[in-house]
Amino acid sequence: MSTVRHAVPARRWYRWATTGFSVVMALVFLVAGWVGIGPAAGIGMAAVMLVFAGGVELAARRSETVKGLLDRSDERITAMDLTATTFAGLVLITVILVAFVVEIVRGQDGMPYAWLGAVAGIAYLVAILVQRLRG
Amino acid sequence: MRNEVRALRTALGLSQGDLAHAVGVSRQTINSIETDRYTPSLPLAFALAGYFETTIEEVFHVDGEARGARA
Repeated sequence: MSTVRHAVPARRWYRWATTGFSVVMALVFLVAGWVGIGPAAGIGMAAVMLVFAGGVELAARRSETVKGLLDRSDERITAMDLTATTFAGLVLITVILVAFVVEIVRGQDGMPYAWLGAVAGIAYLVAILVQRLRG
Repeated sequence: MRNEVRALRTALGLSQGDLAHAVGVSRQTINSIETDRYTPSLPLAFALAGYFETTIEEVFHVDGEARGARA
């Protein structure tokens, strides 16, 4: 038995990325909802995001999986996250393609689904290119 | 891929949580490795072998390969 370096060095900023992003989005929703719809809508939308942020923090105290998703210190949970993200992306692309076809059949121009599909396709190609260049 | 992680861990009287903390992963991941449901990355395999002060070959084996023997 010995002291070893951790297999995956901890990246502390990751730990607060999801919670911090949720809080920032709560502020954005507060302003956008307040300006665009009304004070109650803004406060309601912000409250949803703050409840989500609080729920995630509470869950991280009790669940290794949630904690691992937040701090990305566990390679298996990070792999699960990547697989889940890939699955969600495939589902989203499928929905966009189906919606685009439906819009075309209905005689519409297919927007904004064509743009969304194009953005997803370009993002995929850029990601492949970056990884290829990194070796 | 099979491994000796459970045997090595219990020989030291460690819990899965103890080993998980030592190598910086979750207890669930140690459990998944011990039950052959997850094959660790090379860095984690090295970390486990290093913790037990042995080699990767002594900890992990391809299915059907005897410890220390060539197929």
